[in-house]
Amino acid sequence: MKEKSRIQTVINWLGPFLGLILVMVIFSSIPEVRDRFLRVPNLKSVATQSVIVALGAMGMTLIIISGGIDLSAASNIALSSVITAFAINAGFPPLLAIFLGVITGGLIGLANGSLITSLRLVPFIVTLGMLGIARGIAKWTAGNQKIDAPLTWVNELMAKSPRPSWLLMAPGVWMMIIFAVVMAVVLRYSVFGRHIFAIGSNEATARLCGIRIKRTKIIVYSLAGLFCGLGGVMEFSRLTVGDPTVAVGLELDIIAAVVIGGGSLSGGSGSILGSMIGVFIMSFLRNGCTMMGWPNYIQEIIIGAIIVVAVALDQIRHRKNF
Amino acid sequence: MKIKAQGIIILFLFFTLAFFSCSSKEKGLSSQESRLEIAVIPKGTTHEFWKSIHAGAARASKELGVKVLWKGPQKEDDRAQQITVVEDFISRGVDGIVLAPLDDRALWRPVRDAVQENIPVVIIDSALQGDDFVSFVATDNYKGGELAAGKIGELLQGKGNIFLIRYQVGSASTTKREKGFLDVIQREYPKISLLVQDQHAGSTTETAYQLAENLLNRFPDVNGIFCPNESSTFGTLRALQEAGLAGKVIFIGFDSSPKLVQGLRDGHIHGLVLQDPVKMGYLGVRQLVLHLQGEKIDKRIDTGVCLITRENMDDPEMKSLLMPDLT
Repeated sequence: MKEKSRIQTVINWLGPFLGLILVMVIFSSIPEVRDRFLRVPNLKSVATQSVIVALGAMGMTLIIISGGIDLSAASNIALSSVITAFAINAGFPPLLAIFLGVITGGLIGLANGSLITSLRLVPFIVTLGMLGIARGIAKWTAGNQKIDAPLTWVNELMAKSPRPSWLLMAPGVWMMIIFAVVMAVVLRYSVFGRHIFAIGSNEATARLCGIRIKRTKIIVYSLAGLFCGLGGVMEFSRLTVGDPTVAVGLELDIIAAVVIGGGSLSGGSGSILGSMIGVFIMSFLRNGCTMMGWPNYIQEIIIGAIIVVAVALDQIRHRKNF
Repeated sequence: MKIKAQGIIILFLFFTLAFFSCSSKEKGLSSQESRLEIAVIPKGTTHEFWKSIHAGAARASKELGVKVLWKGPQKEDDRAQQITVVEDFISRGVDGIVLAPLDDRALWRPVRDAVQENIPVVIIDSALQGDDFVSFVATDNYKGGELAAGKIGELLQGKGNIFLIRYQVGSASTTKREKGFLDVIQREYPKISLLVQDQHAGSTTETAYQLAENLLNRFPDVNGIFCPNESSTFGTLRALQEAGLAGKVIFIGFDSSPKLVQGLRDGHIHGLVLQDPVKMGYLGVRQLVLHLQGEKIDKRIDTGVCLITRENMDDPEMKSLLMPDLT
């Protein structure tokens, strides 16, 4: 029995890795882009392109493990980026603007968590509503157009060639790595992390075990909101303008990354590492498809197929558990 | 059992990718010779306007023997994704990039990155801040506005009341059209008075329709209207038709679509100012190739605008602008 579950763990771990390796092997064997695909500058730009989805996916992983979902993630990112641009435009110091952007994300997450727990509504419905609300507030704040903010060091956060050159990669990429490690440790080893798994596996049992479900859920959604806020700051840094229409549909990419990485929409499973691999599978696919000059529809079909495959794997894993 | 199922899925995944990579491998072999590779990046890929640009770029690619890689942002009008596309083409190491920037500011940094990697960039359609690109190939929007004003002045015989329905706050190209229009009206037709000149139609046909409806209710004695883009023209056309004023009010619009062509044919629209996207796509690629071959090229190329009316709409030249041949 124990032997079997070990094999299973190995497969669960390896599954997403295999996908990533497969994608990279395929693109690096196509003669047209072979000598370009694995070059350091390209890897750097893929890493930079992944930061926003990766930050969103960290929060989403927690939410999905707890058995919930957050459809408002992308709208939240757009709102936070607009707030950051608005603050910088209003003459606030950049650090304060970043803080406001991140806090905005956190507040939206807090609102999600509070509504879900106090009104006992399904997360899908609450966050679907928040998707519209946050996007609307973003457009309102920006006066229905983009905000041109003056260039500051905030815009260097996502620059491909960072200012102090010893950083090697954009500061945003380092932030992504550090937060991923921290969140992975929190999720695996902290009491809070274990509580999230318990809630997602069986909420009723978790309650009987004395876990404070409401509080844990509110923290999970707020934390996810903070990550979206940071993602929004990164989005602003990349665009150099605050655009309320940015990232439409990005929540689906974020959810897909978590699911590809082994997260289960029925809760109770998922990992930060898996989600990060999911993010990179999609980024490398996009990057490779663009480098090949393939039309968008091919790219969409491939990514769509990969999501179905990943969910199918998820199902098979679950069938085994019973 | 489970291993089998997983195996099947992984195989499926592999074949999906392998299929696409193989099909391009064959192409790859034939294009091994040193043809120039040029990435053309539009704002979107599904609108009529961009299909015309693509047709022009494809024509240039055939004529000049260069390879054109056509790729827009995956979602129409998504600034972040357009930046990603530019970065990926820099990674590929294309010989040059033709770009229609979604934002005059957000695309500035990726373009600078390209230039640092010795990849020249030609900007088409919309302006970009900075000075990193080698040439800017676009419609002279100011001239488009002037043309429209001249036609309205001529049809109204220099007197009457008109509306200028603006498009949207912050849209650079349409603001230039509006300015060109206003300048000519004020300079050459002092007896034409502007009843409305600071109302914005907004980005959709629906908002334009509502605005035009309200304006027509308030000023029923209007004699002429100018709209600076496709959506505002169509919205206003609908409002005129609803109010029974279509054909009675002199109406000049901008850009074309099948519905606007029909309006022109019915006499509801008295003139449309047209751009030439096919030429824009063609010249964008050609300018870049000339630059790569070491020739000196102009920093600003005007692709021309012209005014089309019911009388000349069936001329072959005009027809090709109204309904471009996209093959």
